[in-house]
Amino acid sequence: MSSADMDVTKHKTFLIDTTKCTGCRGCQVACKQWNQLKAEKTVFFSGEGYQNPPAMTEHTFTRIKFRDYEKNGQNEFAFYKEMCMHCNEPACASVCPVGAFVKSPEGPVIYNASRCIGCRFCMIACPFGIPKYEWSKAFPLVKKCTGCYSRIKEGLEPACATACPTAITYGSREEMIKEAERRLKNRPQRYFQAIYGKEEAGGTSILYLTHQPLDELGFKKVTTRPLPSYTWQALRLVPGIFLTMGGGLSLLSWFNHRKERIRQEEGFKNSKVQPEKKDEMKGDNQ
Amino acid sequence: MTAAKIIINEIKGYHRFLQFMIALVVIGALASMVRFIFGLGVTTNLNDTYPWGLWISFDVVTAVPLAAGAFTLGAIVHCFHIKKLEPLVRPAIVTGFLGYSLVCIGLLLDLGQPQRGWHTMVYWNVHSPMFEVSMCVMAYTTVLFLEFLSPVCEKFGYHMPLRVLRWLEMPLVIAAASISTLHQSSLGTFFLIAVDKLHNLWYNPLLPLQFWMSAIFTGISIIILEATMVHRYLGQPDESELLEILAKILPWVLAVYLAVKVGAVAFLTHGSLFDRPGLLALFAAEVLIGVIIPMLMFMKQSNREDSRMQLRGAGMVIFGVILNRFNVSMFGMIQPDQVIYYPSVTESLVTIGIIAGHILFFVLLAKYFPIFEHHPETVDYSMPDHFHATEAHEHDQGKGVEA
Ligand code: SF4
Ligand code: SF4
Ligand code: SF4
Repeated sequence: MSSADMDVTKHKTFLIDTTKCTGCRGCQVACKQWNQLKAEKTVFFSGEGYQNPPAMTEHTFTRIKFRDYEKNGQNEFAFYKEMCMHCNEPACASVCPVGAFVKSPEGPVIYNASRCIGCRFCMIACPFGIPKYEWSKAFPLVKKCTGCYSRIKEGLEPACATACPTAITYGSREEMIKEAERRLKNRPQRYFQAIYGKEEAGGTSILYLTHQPLDELGFKKVTTRPLPSYTWQALRLVPGIFLTMGGGLSLLSWFNHRKERIRQEEGFKNSKVQPEKKDEMKGDNQ
Repeated sequence: MTAAKIIINEIKGYHRFLQFMIALVVIGALASMVRFIFGLGVTTNLNDTYPWGLWISFDVVTAVPLAAGAFTLGAIVHCFHIKKLEPLVRPAIVTGFLGYSLVCIGLLLDLGQPQRGWHTMVYWNVHSPMFEVSMCVMAYTTVLFLEFLSPVCEKFGYHMPLRVLRWLEMPLVIAAASISTLHQSSLGTFFLIAVDKLHNLWYNPLLPLQFWMSAIFTGISIIILEATMVHRYLGQPDESELLEILAKILPWVLAVYLAVKVGAVAFLTHGSLFDRPGLLALFAAEVLIGVIIPMLMFMKQSNREDSRMQLRGAGMVIFGVILNRFNVSMFGMIQPDQVIYYPSVTESLVTIGIIAGHILFFVLLAKYFPIFEHHPETVDYSMPDHFHATEAHEHDQGKGVEA
């Protein structure tokens, strides 16, 4: 499950250039169609600005976020495609008690619905708030962007990337990083000098380029350390603690029982012999 | 028909309080059925912003340390060999067994696919703290069940199994303490993944250690609370002399915990601590009421001897730990601009039902099984075993000195 043994440079990766995004929401529609997701009833201005639906849900795996800003006294829009980041070391996969989420060798983080017990730990763990739950159902499962795994298995590109007329480039992570760096270098005034996703959460299979500073566009600031390492630093100690605890207590009780037995055998006068801490406590109260 | 009549008559004879508890349990059970019929979304106030609510925060994250009395006392009595406390062990085991069974029920209710609960046993993911905790909870519930079989066998006079259980006692105590150490701390590990979500006041790499240590002092406090209640309301003998020993251990554990907590907050957190006054107040309340005041209280001999003070101190510790678990699993996770979650009626009724169920089953077990009348010397353990013979002897002698 950890991708330490995987070659992340070959992972299929999205390069999303938000400066080229026109906000057409073709990706949103394509995603709904390909994944046969139900339409949601939406109204204008229910969320921030023109973005719709107001939040990602079990029926919406991706959406375009709108940001209003002013440039030279003019109102302008900036767009940002929200979707699963397909982390190199996904937090959702590391916390899942049954391993329902896995990082596939191709890159997408995929979900095995028949394993999921519905504990929602993945939703707590994901630093980007991506997995959503089927709240409407009595026996709900988790839903999120699949990275169009079924399509890329057949040699196609993801539905949203195919539909996008301008902004999405799709290819191996290595190439996409190269391409992003090339753009940053060639047109420094066009781009904010950062590739979101290169280091975030230990690196992801989605990379973003922006014009605005990242936080202004609504990108979350996340740690660059892979999230699973935060829990693993404690969990890796588990076998050791178990053995130490078990062994320590066994020794302690063996020792105490033996002491007791010897004392018993030698008669009561020995109780004066070198009172230890626990005996003191006991002695005090007798 | 007759059996049902007997049961109804028996229930009619119960105290009003017990009948009230039965009503709460029935209501809770109905409420949990509502959850399965109409779904989690409709019956709870959970949503994509709050995937975990009251059921995880209380029924699992808080209930597990509240049920820690059994392993703590088991280790104190059998491993550290403070045999005097033996009379408290059995009620603690019953409480622990009930507590963990109810944790399992609470967890299953909260799962989206409870019928797949067994998947954790088949599809292992050792990187998941949830996997770790579920395995431990299952293992430990089994251990507690075995320990709990002793009074059951005594009741029905099964002597062979009793001997086996007696022989298993030490291994079970040690298994209990080791397994508990793991899952009590792993509950803290849950929240280590919530980087940048859980507020700095609580988020630090020593969270698992703090969860484990607080489980120990909570376990001790629960025993004090329970023994005092049982003395007051179930007419069992006053054990405050024994509780004094526990009250003596308590400030030490609290002090070490406080040191670890202060150290962790001071040196191991990154980012601002004082940016959210509300959270700061919760943090202060948890530390003051739950740790510092009871610690100072129990440092005084006169307070340790006074049954009323024992109860008050233990009560404060328990309040503190409940607040702490809610701070970590709920309040501390709320982001500044987020709407506030509060539990729905269904969620509350189920949790109230679970608490009522705990009290109810404890009283009923105490009524029908020899839980307090546990005097090893009166039971026939006639095992040709040197070690147990001496143990029983020692107990006699202890009694003699006391009397
Ligand atoms: S963005 Fe969230 S859901 Fe997607 S792979 Fe990363 S941790 Fe998992
Ligand atoms: S909800 Fe399902 S996928 Fe998410 S952590 Fe739990 S079992 Fe795994
Ligand atoms: S990769 Fe596929 S599932 Fe994910 S957002 Fe694009 S179309 Fe939707």
